Amino acid sequence: MTAPASDQTRTRGRRTGEQRAPWILLAPFLLVFLFTFILPILAAVGSSFMQVTRSGLFGEQGVTQEFAWFHNYALALGDGSFITSIGRMFLFGIVQVPIMIIAATILAFLLESASARWPGLFRAAFFLPYGVPGVIATILWTFLYVPGLSPIIDVASWMGIDIDFLGPSTVLWSIANIVTWSYTGYNMLIIIAQLKSIPGELYEAAHVDGASPFRIARSIQVPLIAPALMLTTVFSIIGTLQLFAEPQVLQSVSPAIDSQYTPNLSAYTTAFAYNDYNVAAAQAVLIALVAFILSFAFLRLTNRKDQ
Amino acid sequence: MTPLTRRQLLKFGLGAAGAAALAGCGTPGLTSVNAAATIPPASPSSPVTLTYWAWLKDLQKVADIWNAKNPHIQVRTVWIPAGAQGGYPKMYSALAAGGGPDLAQIELRTIPEFLLVNGLVDLSRYGAAEHAATFDPTLWKQVSFTGGVYGIPQDSGPMATFYQTEIFERVGASPPTTWSAWAEVAAELRKQKIYIDVFPFSDASVFTAYATQAGATWLTPTEDGWVINMRDDATMSTARFFDAALDKDLVSTAFEAYSPAWFAAAGNGTIASLTDASWADALIEGISGGKGKWRVAPMPRWEHGGFGSSVRGGSTTAVLANCRHPKEALEFAAWLNGSQEGINGLIEHCGIGWSANPKFIGTSRMEPSPFFSGQNYNQEVFVPASTEQNPDWSWWPVTQQSLNILADQFRRKPGGQSLVDGVVKAEEQIMSVFQNKGLSIRKEEA
Repeated sequence: MTAPASDQTRTRGRRTGEQRAPWILLAPFLLVFLFTFILPILAAVGSSFMQVTRSGLFGEQGVTQEFAWFHNYALALGDGSFITSIGRMFLFGIVQVPIMIIAATILAFLLESASARWPGLFRAAFFLPYGVPGVIATILWTFLYVPGLSPIIDVASWMGIDIDFLGPSTVLWSIANIVTWSYTGYNMLIIIAQLKSIPGELYEAAHVDGASPFRIARSIQVPLIAPALMLTTVFSIIGTLQLFAEPQVLQSVSPAIDSQYTPNLSAYTTAFAYNDYNVAAAQAVLIALVAFILSFAFLRLTNRKDQ
Repeated sequence: MTPLTRRQLLKFGLGAAGAAALAGCGTPGLTSVNAAATIPPASPSSPVTLTYWAWLKDLQKVADIWNAKNPHIQVRTVWIPAGAQGGYPKMYSALAAGGGPDLAQIELRTIPEFLLVNGLVDLSRYGAAEHAATFDPTLWKQVSFTGGVYGIPQDSGPMATFYQTEIFERVGASPPTTWSAWAEVAAELRKQKIYIDVFPFSDASVFTAYATQAGATWLTPTEDGWVINMRDDATMSTARFFDAALDKDLVSTAFEAYSPAWFAAAGNGTIASLTDASWADALIEGISGGKGKWRVAPMPRWEHGGFGSSVRGGSTTAVLANCRHPKEALEFAAWLNGSQEGINGLIEHCGIGWSANPKFIGTSRMEPSPFFSGQNYNQEVFVPASTEQNPDWSWWPVTQQSLNILADQFRRKPGGQSLVDGVVKAEEQIMSVFQNKGLSIRKEEA
């Protein structure tokens, strides 16, 4: 009678052990995720609904914090510079994201074509800029943008062309250039991974049918890498709205970049230059919402086209 | 009672930690260190180390002079980017996180902004009053608010006019003593395709300095809140004057002072003069081929009154809220900015602005300057200028934002909006910034 009972406990012990094991293994990740991701988001959302009232000249006679409903959101949306910065990122994204994705796709096709020489070397070379942190990349490009330092401007001026990379109408595209340089290789790699998963039989069948390389690209490769293209586009849309390091670094050489040039710069300035943490939190939540809406709209749009 | 399982414990732990984290994530800077008890000085047997964030180069060399004499108070300096370019955001975020250095370089105009987030130690509670007599009373007033003292003045920037003698002689002009004479000289220079000076749209602190000279006091701290008055006669006539100067193309807006284009223009003689603070001397010395061509004259005056000079720039050494040794920090700050040793060191190693100690301008500044045509300009021009200041001017808790608002309005000047209208609109916006921060503000009744 005792044997089956002990058998049962052992099974139960093993089963609870099996149930517990994944949680124990996940715990380090979950803890970090909770404390550095979930809690800060909750804190920001909470903070965006709070308002501080001070009495006295600086609040020395008392500071009260109260729930303010959507007051901070109204302030953020009423701030012309913040709205302008979001509009600026729309313009940036509409131009830069397609250019980057198309460039990444072309590079991926070239490297994956049968006639490519040293694809490994070029793949690494194209990917290399992604390994350069955004701040360093911007400093490197600054040397090509600043008059007096830039060989490009010198050469252009010999030919009688006056280029200003840092003027009010051009600096946005100078930033776009840095971003494209940094992230094309990364997106290319995602697309290559997807290309590699296309079964060889499909190519063989296409060859048998006498399809040209262009036809293969159009009818086989593009449809089959569509998920990768969507993923990279959504990432790029989100990345565009979060543009921060490049304009922040270029600010020192371009007066055209004001303290609210991009939405993230705007939130940063509001929080750490104007000391308005609550409005900054509202701005941050708004940036996340816009990114969410844009990504969602893009996915809906592409899904509908598929049907 | 059933013993807690491990999972329950974990849940409780996480819940408690989460609640604590959320509580800690409230809006930072709501409690004041100055409401707590003062921190007693450390005993001489246990040495303290103070950290000092500043954007002065080679500051450690000056601190080392102190360190050698004061083994029980060692100061370690850390270089940070200049204030609005990244230094202040760094300090604010450190304060919000409950950390930060013991001492920090904070501009005079930024002291009230740090007060708003309870970022500074009230030094009057640690005996700042005994140092008050060492420093310029106008500067001391600008670090004193609501009965406290929130920083030790480090330097300031009394203003004067730097001009190229040869170019002025070419049009038969002597340095203008009034702003209307300045406009006449400017018109003469324009005939030779020379600009007398620049007017920056993107840096409103220059216009602010001109209005200060005319006698403006934009914000006044009173018992029942802030009082704003940007539409007084002094400000409006200053705005009208520069509206006219800009409309007649008397000043250049193509570039700002100290930009590469400005250095080129000043070097080839298409910019004749510059009205700015005393610390501009070091920058002007950077103009290639400028040696012997420049002199310094007192700032032009406004006809209807005001003051002989104005001020641009100026810093303090402040003690930040999370400092654990405020008494020792105050002693060091007072030595650094008040003693002859400290001032000479700051001039030699850090190129500091105008000394905050009116009795000692610095040994090297008592001598004639070969660059400025052998003129002893510091003694001749800047010593009087430093005493002819608007004593009523006070900075306010949203200075940086206000200057940005003003600059954004000025940027509309080329589009046709006058500076006068810009200032009037800026006043409304600055008032709403105060209100949105929960501060009380009212317009001064005329």
